[in-house]
Amino acid sequence: MGNLFVKKPKITDVDRAILTLKTQRRKLAQYQQQLDTVIEAEKQAARDLVRQSRKDRALLALKKKKAQEEILKQVDGWLINVEQQLADIELASKQKAVFQSLKAGNDAMKAIQSEINLEDVQKLMDDTEEAKAYQDEINAILGEKLSAEDEEEILAEFENLEAELAVQDMPEVHAKGPSKEEEEKLDLPDVPTKTPVADGAEITKAEVSTKKKVLEEPLPA
Amino acid sequence: MQKLGDFKLPAFFNYPPYFTLQPVRDTREKQVQLWRELILDYCRTQKVFVIALEEEFPLFSNPVIERSLNNEARETFLSALVSEGRAEWLDKGHRKCLILWHRIQDWADLILSFVKDNGLEDNVMTVEEIRSGIESRGTELHGMDRTILMRALKLLEHKGKLAIFKGTSADDEGVKFSV
Repeated sequence: MGNLFVKKPKITDVDRAILTLKTQRRKLAQYQQQLDTVIEAEKQAARDLVRQSRKDRALLALKKKKAQEEILKQVDGWLINVEQQLADIELASKQKAVFQSLKAGNDAMKAIQSEINLEDVQKLMDDTEEAKAYQDEINAILGEKLSAEDEEEILAEFENLEAELAVQDMPEVHAKGPSKEEEEKLDLPDVPTKTPVADGAEITKAEVSTKKKVLEEPLPA
Repeated sequence: MQKLGDFKLPAFFNYPPYFTLQPVRDTREKQVQLWRELILDYCRTQKVFVIALEEEFPLFSNPVIERSLNNEARETFLSALVSEGRAEWLDKGHRKCLILWHRIQDWADLILSFVKDNGLEDNVMTVEEIRSGIESRGTELHGMDRTILMRALKLLEHKGKLAIFKGTSADDEGVKFSV
């Protein structure tokens, strides 16, 4: 072996066991094939003997065939056993791998946790609590000063703002109205530009009136 | 076009001169070239791994034109393959020839991709299983020559992709992959 530096996979006892089982499986399959041919041969022999009407010999051949078939059934059972064990070994080694990775994860978790001291955490939390209380106190003090003098002023400003916003909102509705319609239908914008509801009525009236005029004109004329 | 089973034979197979070694160098080179390709092609499609010189081999005779290659011609063509690295003599007397329509390296690559495709990266398989097991059914590995397989496996072992080992029964070798 010239290549000493190449890392070869290590062969474990498990690997050897798997190899033995797999070899056994192959051998059993071979044995079954062998039995199959014997059974087939005995069947053929029995057929020939029946044709030659040698009953006792034919019966013997059939008996032999039956015996071989029994063996074949047994071998079937063995094969299943071997297969089962192979599957079990595979499952067990998978289990081992899962266990090992879980263990590694657990160790990592422990290592991380060991870096955190429980007392330190408690102290940290206490400190935070204190800081929060202090902050609340400041807030309370500031709040007191504010509320006493400026409450009314603030309220007034609020109302002012509210009113302002209300006024601002109105033109916005107006501006949005036509633009939407413009987007949807090109024909319609004409109607809102001629302002209030009365105008719309006028148009219809005008239309009607032109028609009426046509009808009416001859009368005064 | 004459056929051999489902294999399409090339046109030159029906020309008698191609069945006799050509004396002129240029012509002979051309002849050897054509035969070399034909043999490789045939072996690949028919999965032939070993050609025995003195046994019947469908390519070496053409009953339609009643011609067949003599031993010298057979050896010349196979030697051409050997010198190209596409074949190897199995004995000193040049009677049996191993045909490598895949080079050993290519076989090794096929084994690796088979291992990867089947998720066998750290599994144990028997050598026989690779050749005839259910896993390899339908792949090029199925039914491959044991000599070639062992050579490809040894190559992979050298590269650290697997280890070959013997079990307790000792009559079958196992392979543990580590891809």
